[in-house]
Amino acid sequence: MQRAHRPVFLNLARIRFPVGAVASIGHRISGVLLVIALPFAVLALERSLEDGSSLYAFTGWMRLPAAVLAWACAHHIFAGVRHLLMDAGVGASLPAGRASAYAALIAGAAVGLAALLL
Amino acid sequence: MRFRIYRLDPETQARPSWREYDVRLEATDRKVLDALERIRTTLDDSLAYRRSCREGVCGSDAMNINGRNALACITPLEGLSEPITLAPLPGFPVIRDLIVDMTQFFAHYHEIRPYLITDEPPPERERLQTPEERAKLDGLYECILCACCSGFCPSYWWNPDKFIGPAGLLQAERFIVDSRDRATAERLAFLDDVYKLYRCRTIMNCTEVCPKGLSPSRAIEHIKLQQLRRST
Amino acid sequence: MRLFSGQRAFVVQRLSALVLLAFLGGGALRLAFGPPASLDQWQGWVAQPLGAAAVLLFALAVLAHAWVGIRDVVLDYIHPLPLRLTILGLSAIGLALLAAWTTLVLVSHAL
Repeated sequence: MQRAHRPVFLNLARIRFPVGAVASIGHRISGVLLVIALPFAVLALERSLEDGSSLYAFTGWMRLPAAVLAWACAHHIFAGVRHLLMDAGVGASLPAGRASAYAALIAGAAVGLAALLL
Repeated sequence: MRFRIYRLDPETQARPSWREYDVRLEATDRKVLDALERIRTTLDDSLAYRRSCREGVCGSDAMNINGRNALACITPLEGLSEPITLAPLPGFPVIRDLIVDMTQFFAHYHEIRPYLITDEPPPERERLQTPEERAKLDGLYECILCACCSGFCPSYWWNPDKFIGPAGLLQAERFIVDSRDRATAERLAFLDDVYKLYRCRTIMNCTEVCPKGLSPSRAIEHIKLQQLRRST
Repeated sequence: MRLFSGQRAFVVQRLSALVLLAFLGGGALRLAFGPPASLDQWQGWVAQPLGAAAVLLFALAVLAHAWVGIRDVVLDYIHPLPLRLTILGLSAIGLALLAAWTTLVLVSHAL
């Protein structure tokens, strides 16, 4: 029986994602950002072991990328800890999972904002 | 009440479209399924959808309602923001309108061998289980295979052919913890695969939308834990 | 392609995460109870074999964790086999180079 290709409904804009999904995609995006930042991290390590040249130059145009990286670090760690706790059985229920997702999102955003303003 | 419904007729349309309806509901129309019937009988009899029990136990009318998967027959109209948007289960091939192809979904169910496997000869009456052993099946046996969960799981969207999905994995867990089953080791070994089980990232979308209040994410976590125990 | 069992990658990801958390926690405590007065103190600590080994372990845990993460992203979204092998291959090489670079930096500083 020949069947024509059937479309699928995957219009992400029309799908209402729960908070856990938002935390999860943030976890993935922050992870990818951190991987991209890895070479710069090794560079920073190298610079820090030489003569400390321009290690703390987070001024001007560097503030925004630095804040984004700060958010990425913080959110990835908070969301990661949330996952490790769920592995251990803590917070695996739906209400607890929602609450911890909100906590991770808010804490990560706070760190990013702080890095931007301070 | 205003509706926006996903329409696709593969015989006349190449691509899907959204149709708007403004339907007059009777006082007795309380659930989304009632509204669908009203639309079909008074406005547009070409609208196609699956339905059967109309009480939330058969799983036929699972669909995406205002962005979340749910059973149309037990989703109240009250509280839904208009226009109420009805779409087929995300990620599933659409046969027509709100009807999706469940072949892949059921294939995954068969894949995990949803039956007791044991060499022991059948006893006189039944294979006995203590109340505690029977209690382990609670939260697992009630699944009606409606696919609300798998249709809301991003990991299942990206790999519907290789990832078993929350529904299949919940049923796998149902048989893994069944004290009468003797194939636990094989079941766990079968699932130890980067695709079958480990596409799950504990997004928990599945548990959010299960109409029976089950938690596939917790079942999957338990499978991973049991696999860990077995390998250490 | 049954190259890797699913569980192995899962364990590497979780284990490396715990190692990283331990280091970050320890580092945070160290910074809270007396931040290094100058860059020399940091450089001095890394010059010692124990300090260098600690930083190296941290770096290797990061790279192992990153590898599992990248692999998950590729397996989820990228399906054509040639593209998949290319990206995974390049990522593996990239991470290996980072490991080599880090080792070089630490060793040359300790000497």
